[in-house]
Amino acid sequence: MNSAWYLQMGFAAVLLFIGIYCLLTMRNLIKLFIGIEIISKAITLALITSGLLRGNMALAQALTITFIVVEVSMVAVALAIIINIYRHTGSLDVRQLTKLKG
Amino acid sequence: MILQIFLLSGLTIFSVLAILLRDLLKAAISLALASIFLAMVFFRLNAPYAGVFEISVVAGLITVLFITTITLTKNPSDVRENKLPLIIFPLFFAVFIVIDLIIMKNLLNAVQPSLPGSTGPAGIFGQVFWNERTFDLVAQIGVIFAGVFSVLALFRTKDKHE
Amino acid sequence: MIFPFIAVPLILASVMPLIGRFSKRFLPDALANLAFLFLLVYSLITMRQLSATGPAIHQLLFLKQVLNISMVIDGFSAFMLFTISLVTLCAGLFSINYMEHYGAKANYYALLLIMVAGMNGLVLANDLFQVYLFLEVAAVASYGLVAFGLGLDELEASYKYLMLSAVSSGFILISIAVIFSLTGSLNFSQVAAGLQALNLKYAVGLCAGFFILGFGLKAALVPFHAWLPDAHPSAPAPISAMLSGLLIKVSGVYALARIFFNVLGLNPALSQVLMYAGVISLVVGAVIALGQNDIKRMLAYSSISQVGYIILGIGLGTPLGILGGLFHLFNHAVAKGLLFLNSGSIQNATGTRSLDQMGGLAKRMPLTAATTLIGSLSIAGVPPLAGFWSKLIIIIALFQARQYGFALIAVLASIVTLWYYLLIQRQAFFGKLNETWENIKEAPFWMSASTVILGLICIAVGIFFGLFLRSWIQPAADALSAGVIYGFKMMGF
Repeated sequence: MNSAWYLQMGFAAVLLFIGIYCLLTMRNLIKLFIGIEIISKAITLALITSGLLRGNMALAQALTITFIVVEVSMVAVALAIIINIYRHTGSLDVRQLTKLKG
Repeated sequence: MILQIFLLSGLTIFSVLAILLRDLLKAAISLALASIFLAMVFFRLNAPYAGVFEISVVAGLITVLFITTITLTKNPSDVRENKLPLIIFPLFFAVFIVIDLIIMKNLLNAVQPSLPGSTGPAGIFGQVFWNERTFDLVAQIGVIFAGVFSVLALFRTKDKHE
Repeated sequence: MIFPFIAVPLILASVMPLIGRFSKRFLPDALANLAFLFLLVYSLITMRQLSATGPAIHQLLFLKQVLNISMVIDGFSAFMLFTISLVTLCAGLFSINYMEHYGAKANYYALLLIMVAGMNGLVLANDLFQVYLFLEVAAVASYGLVAFGLGLDELEASYKYLMLSAVSSGFILISIAVIFSLTGSLNFSQVAAGLQALNLKYAVGLCAGFFILGFGLKAALVPFHAWLPDAHPSAPAPISAMLSGLLIKVSGVYALARIFFNVLGLNPALSQVLMYAGVISLVVGAVIALGQNDIKRMLAYSSISQVGYIILGIGLGTPLGILGGLFHLFNHAVAKGLLFLNSGSIQNATGTRSLDQMGGLAKRMPLTAATTLIGSLSIAGVPPLAGFWSKLIIIIALFQARQYGFALIAVLASIVTLWYYLLIQRQAFFGKLNETWENIKEAPFWMSASTVILGLICIAVGIFFGLFLRSWIQPAADALSAGVIYGFKMMGF
């Protein structure tokens, strides 16, 4: 299994691509956030694979668990913002959010 | 090896489904299934704690949060997604996978897995988590508080800014 | 003993909602600001202790057992701690009056304290993953704070900020995972040693690229700046001051500098990339700022421009360049904090942020006008205020390194900066008093007091710049130019 670490890293890169593709093309606010979730899966896969590579699974698991905790907080705040946006505008279309032009 | 590839492909397919499905509820469930496949990959790689956490938190808690949000924001007129990206996605995807696996196999395989100077005691997980990375726990507490207080601030009922 | 920098804000934040149930205004205000004052005084004490003992790692001992919480303190960290606590104290004092009509003050102070704890933790971290973790602590707190007003603009700005920030954090973490798989450790010194031993150009280049993507977005370098002009104006004024004055510098510039100088090692290619990124931000920010009507948006674009200046100075890599860059970091934090707080005063008094609608406010708000003038001139680089010296040092450093093109662009951008700041002064404060504002009053006590403090610091640092440079900036610059560090002195507190 050690020699196939590149397979996992490859899949992590694929997941990263899928996530970024979702962020670039989707319009629904919640769908955009699903893209970020997919990127998080890619990151956890990359972390565990790097632990596999160095033979230090305990440390890699600690990092992964910590990252998942951070991800949960971020999901909670993001979904709270999305619900509030829905209460204001009644729609989840990101094209409605054009008041600020960047 | 075959099982590994199967699990990883399952993960990828369900992730792709999560963004291609029009119905948000089905997309959230697809995401949860992808998490379960990922957790099985973790179990096979001898990372049981990460696998358990992944299932209970990502496939559990986060999916519940998603479903709550989707239910609270039910809209009769759904967001019309642009059809074009969904159609050309398979093409991009196939090209990317081919390029990616070629690069990974050739270029990075030059880096031997048994790199010199493999440091770090591969200790017991409990010892590492509580003793070595104690500072991370402080930060985790901080980030949980930050999340909780932000959600409380966002859902407060009165005193809205004009 | 540097753990209180993180422990005090965090513990106070956790009990703040409880306190908020008993006392809606007085206790949260008093306790939070006392905590900020404590942090400021403690950072001064720490600096004095540091000059005595030199850089060290502090290990926390709990009941005679090594608890394995180790933080590193050197010149750069101590300097950042001082900057953070100074601007936070003034923003906190400002919030006593400003956050009245937002409500939920206890919640606000709790989030602010967590953000400060996160930033302090970031500058004290000894470990790549801890840098990422405390960055996230501060970031999650800031998402809530930007959306605090619950208006549609604020929510929209917070959502976009969250999305981009999450992606950038993802890139940073991927880079950390790759570094972990290459070297097997996350500790700064061990990673540095490991990377030197391996000598893998492409992998290190890939990691550096991902770090620039990630931290560059946090620091709002062009082309990753798109979130800043929406997020900073929409946030409440003290939070805009904190974000623009501190967060983009701590989670962007500090982390970038620390990792590139002390861990990866700055080679000429990286230096060029940083300098180009800096100078592009410098120009783009300044040019777009000219066309803005909203005062806070103009200040936001100016932040992008000035961070470009800082990155230009630090990216140069010479000791003088780093000195100038860090000095400008301090000056910009103080002055931009001051300007954003004043924009809050204006918004409080007139209810508008649009420069067209203002006019002649100096007659009714003389203190605000004076402090805004000081802040503007400091950033624009007018002697003898502080900003002049820091910009001068950066330009001299560019000349000495024979980068004449960059130096010329820096000088020209300075002129543009002066131009749009004088525009603010003229349109908002001087000229004929718009009749609508006949009855407005000067800003309430704490709001004025905090801006006066920052203004006085601008003047004082400008006059005593030599002393300031020697005692604060020089140790910080030395810590960076020491290059890749292989080990710190261990010290149990």
